[in-house]
Amino acid sequence: MAKADVFTLEVVKDSLMAIGEEMFYALARTSMSPIIYEVLDFASGLTDAKGQLLTQGNGVTGFIGMLSSMVKETLKKFENDLKPGDIIIINDPYGGGGSHLSDVGLVMPIFYQGQLVAFAANKAHWTEVGGKDPGSWTTDSTEIYQEGLQFPAVKLFDEGHINQALVDILAANVRFPDLSLGDMWAQVAGLRTGERRFQELCGKFGKDTVLQSIEYMLDYGEQMAREELKKLPKGVYEVEDFIDDDGLGHGPLNVRCKVTITDDEFIVDFTGSHKQVPGPINCSYTGLVSAVRTIFLAATNPGQDVNDGVFRPLTIIAEKGSILNAERPAPVSTYWESMIFGADMVWKALAPVLPERLTAGHLESVCSVIVSGTHPDTNEPFLIVEPSVGGWGAGLGMDGQSGQFCLGDGETFNVPVEVAETRYGVRLQEYSLTADGTGAGQYRGGAGAIRSYEALTDNQFVTASFGRNKYPVWGASGGRDGSYNKIEIIRKDGTKEGPFGKCARKILNKGDVVRLITATGGGYGDPLLRNPQKVVEDVKNGWITIAQAKEIYGVVIDEQTLTLATPVTSPME
Amino acid sequence: MRVATDIGGTFTDLVSVDEDGKICIAKSDTTPPNFEEGVMNVIAKAELKGDDIETFIHGTTVIINALTERNGVKTGLITTKGFRDVLEIARGNRPDLFNVRYQKPKPFVPRALRLEVEERLNQKGEIITPLNVNDVETAVAQLRREGVEAIAICYLHAYANPEHERLTAELIHKMWPEVAVTASHEVTKEWREYERTNTVVLNSYVKPVAERYVNNLNNRLLEINVTGQKYIMQSNAGTTTFEQSKQSPIHMVESGPVAGVFGAAMLGKMIGHENVIAFDIGGTTAKCSLIDGGEVTVTTDYRIEWDERHAGYPIKIPVVDIVEVGNGGGSIAWIDQASALKVGPKSAGAQPGPVAYGRGGTEPTTTDANLVTGRLSAKNFSMAVNLEAVRSAIDEKIAKKFGVPVEEAALGIIRIANSNMLNALKLISVRRGYDPRDFAMVAFGGGGAMHAAFLARELGVTKVVVPVAASVFSAWGMLMTDLRHDYLQTYIRRTSELSLGEFNGAWEALEQQAIVQYQSEAIEEGQVVFHRYVDMRYLGQEHTVKVPVPGGRVTEQVLADVNATFHAIHEQNYTFKLENNPTEIVNLHLVAFGTVTKPEIAEIEPVSHTVADAVLETRPVYFEHVGFVDTRVYDRSRLGPGFELEGPAIVEEPSSSTLVYPEQRLTVDKYGNLIIYTGVQ
Repeated sequence: MAKADVFTLEVVKDSLMAIGEEMFYALARTSMSPIIYEVLDFASGLTDAKGQLLTQGNGVTGFIGMLSSMVKETLKKFENDLKPGDIIIINDPYGGGGSHLSDVGLVMPIFYQGQLVAFAANKAHWTEVGGKDPGSWTTDSTEIYQEGLQFPAVKLFDEGHINQALVDILAANVRFPDLSLGDMWAQVAGLRTGERRFQELCGKFGKDTVLQSIEYMLDYGEQMAREELKKLPKGVYEVEDFIDDDGLGHGPLNVRCKVTITDDEFIVDFTGSHKQVPGPINCSYTGLVSAVRTIFLAATNPGQDVNDGVFRPLTIIAEKGSILNAERPAPVSTYWESMIFGADMVWKALAPVLPERLTAGHLESVCSVIVSGTHPDTNEPFLIVEPSVGGWGAGLGMDGQSGQFCLGDGETFNVPVEVAETRYGVRLQEYSLTADGTGAGQYRGGAGAIRSYEALTDNQFVTASFGRNKYPVWGASGGRDGSYNKIEIIRKDGTKEGPFGKCARKILNKGDVVRLITATGGGYGDPLLRNPQKVVEDVKNGWITIAQAKEIYGVVIDEQTLTLATPVTSPME
Repeated sequence: MRVATDIGGTFTDLVSVDEDGKICIAKSDTTPPNFEEGVMNVIAKAELKGDDIETFIHGTTVIINALTERNGVKTGLITTKGFRDVLEIARGNRPDLFNVRYQKPKPFVPRALRLEVEERLNQKGEIITPLNVNDVETAVAQLRREGVEAIAICYLHAYANPEHERLTAELIHKMWPEVAVTASHEVTKEWREYERTNTVVLNSYVKPVAERYVNNLNNRLLEINVTGQKYIMQSNAGTTTFEQSKQSPIHMVESGPVAGVFGAAMLGKMIGHENVIAFDIGGTTAKCSLIDGGEVTVTTDYRIEWDERHAGYPIKIPVVDIVEVGNGGGSIAWIDQASALKVGPKSAGAQPGPVAYGRGGTEPTTTDANLVTGRLSAKNFSMAVNLEAVRSAIDEKIAKKFGVPVEEAALGIIRIANSNMLNALKLISVRRGYDPRDFAMVAFGGGGAMHAAFLARELGVTKVVVPVAASVFSAWGMLMTDLRHDYLQTYIRRTSELSLGEFNGAWEALEQQAIVQYQSEAIEEGQVVFHRYVDMRYLGQEHTVKVPVPGGRVTEQVLADVNATFHAIHEQNYTFKLENNPTEIVNLHLVAFGTVTKPEIAEIEPVSHTVADAVLETRPVYFEHVGFVDTRVYDRSRLGPGFELEGPAIVEEPSSSTLVYPEQRLTVDKYGNLIIYTGVQ
């Protein structure tokens, strides 16, 4: 086989990445569900014939280990029984899925001249997969069977023919079949686009050149990661922190994390963490892998294009049956509460030694919400399933970002107020940033947000999971801690319920309001070192009060003029 | 005489056409910060008299510069109670997924200047809480104390009912007539509050800047007696009057670049190609846009300072849909830490420029690679080129690292650059379901003609057109423009439940609005031409596709046809349709052209010499797979209409060179355009 020149390999590699991108946008633009087209809670990409990830278009970071695990599950189960036109459907968290049942994956083998050359795969959060509660995920399930329909890697298409029996079962078991099937078709379209483009690429450059480019691409990823690894401070870094509870009253739950960085290895060990729990916050090993990969990328080189070669130096250890390596049939529907917590622990362990790459802690939880009920104009049912924005940590030389989705999300968009009010039977009373004075530091933590929904009809219900409601967001390098995520309900008569960290199926009647409040990010550095002019601006912008300026930052501000009262009482930056 | 001037980063271009259709071209330096100076210089250089200029059309970078350099004015925002932070929360997204130090775009109005007033509408435009006038007065007084120069107003659901915004604007005018005010509904009537708020804020931010600039320019033009019609190029590829441009200056944001795309559409019409891919390579970027059936594609999904790692700032105005990649003549070639060759997006720009310019540039660029492969000639630069310095830069920085000859490294640079540009070209064509064989490529800008023949062949385009005024093509495009206003109105209705009476009424209202607008711009009703579109989707989807709607009264049959067209377009763009699913209209989109008469472009004079007389030299040029091939080089100024030549060949003109590959053929049409047959069947 002739060896292709390095420039050709580079051109083919670019083309492979462009295919990944095209598959991603094809899915986003045709989906029926806001959770896909606004939240972009999905990923799609290509793997090689062995299931090694080549390119992945991500709306969220959380799926960064999950396409390859689905493909590997497919290979394990079907081995020599894969044919052109097959599409396999998977959502089993313990069998290649990794997250929860709501995330449904499709895998398509790609053949060229009769040879299996690659896989196209995608995975998307369906608004509905059945189960005991509308929206499928909940905070009080006790077994996975309550969390929806399970697809254990079965053929949805057999040589291009749809498995109608499976589709009928699917439609009969979900609450909004149009939404779910619409998303399924969008995913199928995305895979077929990937298949067609990959075959065109083989046609243009020759199969052998494309396969060489794949090897080149994976080696390239590995080399990039190893170069970055060399620059990291070698050592062993350990932390421990606590997950609030499991949603059923068990907790706090400890998580231990030891990060070992050597010249050529990055080892993350969660041995000693809490065993799996009855409530649905368990995370499978595949889920944990995705979480740790996310923060591994952040710590190494946030810029690089991601493929499985990048992760060759990474090792992840967690005991079987623990909260971060749970076993069937443990419920997992709010798995992110532990999954992102795992990433947060690596982040916290390394923040002190990697100030140019990492920051203080952020809201940490997806702060996901379900509201359902009927629309007052159409009397049709509606279903909101969405994450919440919150405060991010400050870092060296930068204040924290305000109102941004958590680490597990990414290119995730909030639903505009005007769109929400048109589509759903709610009115927003406010969508604003919090100013609770926490997260102080030389650099200030970013503000969390308040989003409050007023029910416009009776018998709506709200389910929400807001982790980090008992242990605050952490500050770094002398910065103060941020605050907590929480949910409050204000009844029409003015009585207040909460705050809660989690709630399941709370009834809202017309005029009741649910207030979703997210945490302020952690501060970075000693607040007394903050530039007094910035403290003045903070007061003017309403982030802190004049009293807080004095107490926390040691800066005295004239109440009338809102300028610095001399003399300056803290050292200048 | 019609005269167009276009301010670019380096040059201010002028193209004029007289009553006989004769074209004249001039170039002069751009003169920041007093850009009008460069305009006056180029008019003088072209030796035009003010009185002869019946129509003056202008494209400017003043607005985009004011935005990207943050040179606008201190701006305040008045908004609905509970929602002042919408501008800062934005959409909450973090495109740089694996960077926890990502920083969101900083709002143009800080929190202290974002003030809330009591008022509330619902999605139907019904008043839930009346406007609290006291709140407005308090807010205005506070903004006055803070010393703002402009105020933006944006209330929730104002697209459905602008009444509260209108009242607020009136109040401000009464209280403080000097301050520049914009209400969101004056700029955009689409839903999505963050995007609308940001749009109105940016309009306010540049309004005083635009007013000063347009007034200065107007005064300078009056000094030389330009008393004819004066228009400014807008981002929707149409023009507007100087007066109107000061009201909504944000529409000028892509003033220059879109004119080139529009020019490509017009040139296509002239030579019988309604389907065109416009392709423009400048110093820093390459831009491309698809023209389907003679119409430029316009979208309101525009944003500035956006890339795959940055969210940028959305501006919800109609802008010609252009895809841009960071690959131009000055793009730098470099090797990353895992030893892969990359080209761009960093550019040597005009200063220091490529190594070839001899202005201190040391990093090899695409232009340098084109020199080393013989594709560009050192003799065709306006400065002396040290070819040894160029070769040695590519040799040291690229060739030695890979252990390949310098020509092979130079070709590698060109191949990577081509690959980047090809991905952009695919994005606008094949990826959206178009067959490139149905399109001609119009290549312009300094570098378009150099790369077009190869890229067109790779893409599957049969024909490339290199226009006469390729290096000043935006200005040429401006000469061809009509006035244009776009009216987008969010109008959410299920197609099956549409009331035809209400629907027709909505179109009539929009058309009436356009006619009134044009009356104020001295355009008669008879000159106004309407095109209607609806943005449609399947019920439950978010993203829409644009579907043309015939003019006149909409009947059940017309509606059924529109629905059928929607299914077809959806299938074309996204590979599937759902014919049994209900469909929904999201926006009405009326395009109103104010047509003006334009002279026809004249044909060029036949010449008596032959194509052999146009040969400048024969030189070796390095091609993919074959290496050096002796290649004839022609002088474009000596190519007459009807001339034909075979590739490999190069056609040189000042500031641009056209490369024709082996087995390709080039002809010169009656207007002097070069037509390359790419070999694609």
